[in-house]
Amino acid sequence: MTDTPTLGSTDAVWMASRRSAAVERLDDLSMPSEREEIWRYLDLDFDPAFRTAPLTAGSAGSTDAVLEMWHGNTVSVVDGFVVTEGVPTIAEASDEIALVNDDHMFATAFTAYAPGAALLTGDHLGKPLLVDVQNTSDATTFPGVHIAVPRGTEATVIVRLRSTTDAPATVVPTVTADVSDNARLTLTIIQDWNYNTRSLGRAVIELGRDATLVLAEIGLGAKIGRLHLDVNFVGNGSTAKIYGAYFGEDDQTLDYRYFMNHIGMHTRSDMFLKGAVEDEALSVFTGMIRIEETGQKTEAFQTNRNLILSSGASAQSVPNLEILANDVMCGHGSTVGPLDEDQRYYLMSRGLTPESADRLQVRGFFEEVVQQIPDEAIAAWIRERINGKYVAAQEEGRV
Amino acid sequence: MSSALEVRDLKASIGDLEILTGLDLVVPFGEVHAIMGPNGSGKSTLSHVLMGNPVYEASGSATIGGVEIMDMTVDERARAGLFEAFQYPTEVPGVTLDDLTEEMAISTPSDDGFEQRTVAASERLGMERFRERAVNVNLSGGEKKRSEMYLLGVANPKVAILDEIDSGLDIDAVREVADMVESLRGPGLGIVVITHYSRILRYMSADRIHVMVGGRVVRSGGPEIAEELEADGYTAYQVAAAG
Repeated sequence: MTDTPTLGSTDAVWMASRRSAAVERLDDLSMPSEREEIWRYLDLDFDPAFRTAPLTAGSAGSTDAVLEMWHGNTVSVVDGFVVTEGVPTIAEASDEIALVNDDHMFATAFTAYAPGAALLTGDHLGKPLLVDVQNTSDATTFPGVHIAVPRGTEATVIVRLRSTTDAPATVVPTVTADVSDNARLTLTIIQDWNYNTRSLGRAVIELGRDATLVLAEIGLGAKIGRLHLDVNFVGNGSTAKIYGAYFGEDDQTLDYRYFMNHIGMHTRSDMFLKGAVEDEALSVFTGMIRIEETGQKTEAFQTNRNLILSSGASAQSVPNLEILANDVMCGHGSTVGPLDEDQRYYLMSRGLTPESADRLQVRGFFEEVVQQIPDEAIAAWIRERINGKYVAAQEEGRV
Repeated sequence: MSSALEVRDLKASIGDLEILTGLDLVVPFGEVHAIMGPNGSGKSTLSHVLMGNPVYEASGSATIGGVEIMDMTVDERARAGLFEAFQYPTEVPGVTLDDLTEEMAISTPSDDGFEQRTVAASERLGMERFRERAVNVNLSGGEKKRSEMYLLGVANPKVAILDEIDSGLDIDAVREVADMVESLRGPGLGIVVITHYSRILRYMSADRIHVMVGGRVVRSGGPEIAEELEADGYTAYQVAAAG
């Protein structure tokens, strides 16, 4: 561990001025309105308590199943502070790194109060990397991760976001990545917050020429689990496969806002998200394929499938297209519905009880996504977590 | 000794449409019976109603090895020893055949022979490369039939109903399926082959053939019936039924 870092103490000149401007601006900003399209499904009636952002990291939580099974490198981020030795932050980088340019309150607060995103470069990406992001208390925190994949290289990163206590907290996690020409990033983001945590997540990934992104996001829980993702296909020939799996329980809101911005030519995106909701949970998928005039020969697809497991649960699925080029191929599909009767009947005809037939169907539903996770052990763990949620819902009579 | 399958006065309808109109059928253990009939005669409905498909309203009696199944749920019927090989088996994405057979074993804890039968059926039918694939997903018609026959071998039922088992298959595949049926024949199993065409019966031997028209069995007899039907078709039966 390094000497205990404190907020702003290692800021580079550019960062110090950005930070103080943001602190000032924050005074004039208020909670965004749910009347704006971008926030419409979120219950923002809470105190974000930005000024409770800690000045130093809390004490890291104990190790857990995921860390124990992990054989690659690990970087720890506790309450927003990078606590692993030898990992710098973007706040101390000599050149400005700023992929997020939102001007709303949460983004501004991130600039003001984030100690600095972990800066992961070729030095750290030689072998698969797990970033263990912990929130330890009821403070509002701003953890960040920035991944810079050098030209022509490959990187595998798993970002695991978790609470180590049951304390209610607000978190503004931000993951950014710059995938250089001919580079490949396999990124997994696991949101595994306690059910008192509101997570207003942001991700921006920029792809260079012929760069490849494979992203899998797994939503295991939060009171509010928002992830607003932009993938910018800047370089010609860049491609991305985006997978998502989420399971909403209780009165959770899991809100995905995925924007594919095709700027270069011959780019390709494929979004494939699957979710289930039970009890009174709400899931939201707002997908956008935006193809600029320059994005000729783009191919872009979005698919979102939702299982509604309880009568009080609901899913919103809103795919959008905005196409300014004239030589492109796009497609989208979304479904919202209960478990498939034919599958249940077929499995029961093989002797399975309706309960085990449904369990198998739910497991199969998520499998297409879970098998994209680059680590077998972590994929198995996720499989078990999702199945466990469904079995609990069955046993407690909610589905 | 009770028969493998005994059906008495089976009636079934969907809404106002009466499909089975009082069907009787007895299949002793160790025998293979074929049910033949024109389109719309209720052949496939018979297999669905026996399996307990909830879209039908049914009455009458059906026993498996002497045990009444009509008041059982679908899974209870399966565990009582009934197996339906479907004409169009449902795709179950993300669930492998191995996942399914594992759950089948868990669902029937009193039967500890699953593992052994899985290995045996897998070898006999060459299923090795299919077991890690999703159930019925992206399989050809012939592969789906093979997969159903594999599950039949794993389930080890008392009664197997093979619904339109030769539909959509080329002649080599029909011959293969016929061989599989022949290899299933045994003293603990009664087999019902439902088919529209007599073609498959050239490659396997049926102990009895039942002609089904208008929702019931109108004639039962030996293998010679298949030859008659091949020559004359179902018209005479249909006219009689309509009369």
